[in-house]
Amino acid sequence: MWTAPVGATRLKVLQVYRYDPDSERNPRLDTFEIDLDDCGPMVLDALIWIKNRIDSTLTFRRSCREGICGSCAMNIDGTNWLACTRFIADTATPATIYPLANMAIIKDLVPDLTHAFAQYSVIKPWLRTNTPAPDKERLQSPEERSRLDGLYECILCFCCTSGCPSHWWNGDRFLGPAVLLQANRWLVDSRDEATGERLDDLEDPFRLYRCHTILNCTRTCPKGLNPGKAIADIKKMMIERKS
Amino acid sequence: MASSATKRTRPQSPNIQIYRPQLTSVLSIANRISGVLLSIYAVGLVAWLSAVVAGPQVYSTALVFIRSWVGQILLLGCTFSFFLHLCGGIRHLIWDAGYGFELRTIYASGWTVVAAASALTAIVWITGAASSGQGP
Amino acid sequence: MNKERLRSPLGRALGLGSAKDGVEQWWLQRVTAVALVPLTMWFLVSILVHMSSDYSAVVAWLRTPAVTVLMVLLLIGLFYHTALGLQVVIEDYVHSGRKFAALAGMRLVCFSLAVAGILAILRTAFVG
Repeated sequence: MWTAPVGATRLKVLQVYRYDPDSERNPRLDTFEIDLDDCGPMVLDALIWIKNRIDSTLTFRRSCREGICGSCAMNIDGTNWLACTRFIADTATPATIYPLANMAIIKDLVPDLTHAFAQYSVIKPWLRTNTPAPDKERLQSPEERSRLDGLYECILCFCCTSGCPSHWWNGDRFLGPAVLLQANRWLVDSRDEATGERLDDLEDPFRLYRCHTILNCTRTCPKGLNPGKAIADIKKMMIERKS
Repeated sequence: MASSATKRTRPQSPNIQIYRPQLTSVLSIANRISGVLLSIYAVGLVAWLSAVVAGPQVYSTALVFIRSWVGQILLLGCTFSFFLHLCGGIRHLIWDAGYGFELRTIYASGWTVVAAASALTAIVWITGAASSGQGP
Repeated sequence: MNKERLRSPLGRALGLGSAKDGVEQWWLQRVTAVALVPLTMWFLVSILVHMSSDYSAVVAWLRTPAVTVLMVLLLIGLFYHTALGLQVVIEDYVHSGRKFAALAGMRLVCFSLAVAGILAILRTAFVG
């Protein structure tokens, strides 16, 4: 337990998951007390404060500090969110900080996202066409472009995927909400010409159909997106092309 | 650097041990548990039908069990599982049609399922208790 | 995982490729569910109505042609829906070779129960 410096009046206690790959010790929870008057308002600010003032070995990913890069995704008080957009005032006492659920941990709060990004590659997240490229852009009406809204904004933070119980139990084969939301992004893109092949690649008892509409994903998305709905739209397309 | 030659396997961060139970995940697992329970109760349904075909003596023995307190508790569990799975299932069918995915709607429909299943169970049991007062 | 120690992350994520199958299972689960909504409600109401009936009244009820048909439909729908649902549960939680044995065993049990139930209904309706 590390206590705040003497003279601090507004205090906050955080319990943080720690793991050091260079030691023989098992993962543990460290308890830190921080001085709220000396610290920014967000959970990320608290982590940076701890790293600067108490324990410089505390390791976590961060970049934009404004909720757009997805680096600081972690589990705060039991739900996955971005540390930089979660107010300390909205956390429990003590606040519990864990890495994203069900991930191989490299160190402290840093998960290994290799498999998550490998699953992203499986859906071939690029424009696939047979028609040769026109002289200018491939045209798209405003209505067609609006179908990408709610899909393109995903920052691939993987809060949703690591909060999905089905991905916990079958994450080796189930693609998960983040990847499936992106799959839908390419399926509804009017410029894409590989829709059939994309649906073929998704029609699998595990890749798509491990989704049982649990909806932890929609509940936890820090960008307000709706992976559950996107997956339901994919399932509807699957039915539609069968009749 | 670690002195051992083999690289330590990375630990897996906790999942169900620390993830907060939410209406989304709790109702989902409740739908699954009620479904599995109903699969077991389906055996009871076949047993009841077999008792009917076996004749009046066997059937009245079956009725004695059903009317015992063990049977009544099992029946209560069956009714509640049935209505929870039925209401949860209808909620699923609405999602499959593409509706009801806004977060507010997810929560509203979720609490509706809990309330409806409880109310329907109560109604059926009160009706059953009232009508079993009459008859031979 | 040991078998795939040196396989690339993409290779591991690709696995054995897409089965290109799965829609039918999903669709039939929904079709049987929709069919079971009225069938189970009808059965529940019938039970409540006949709660205090004696043995001969129950038999007479089962012998009614419409009831015989509906009961058979109920059992078919119920055990088909059950088998599909339990298939998903087993696939979720049972991995390795045991999965296939569990799936086959579960289907056999569901089928047998359906046969037993339907035969009991038909024997009640037509025999004795």
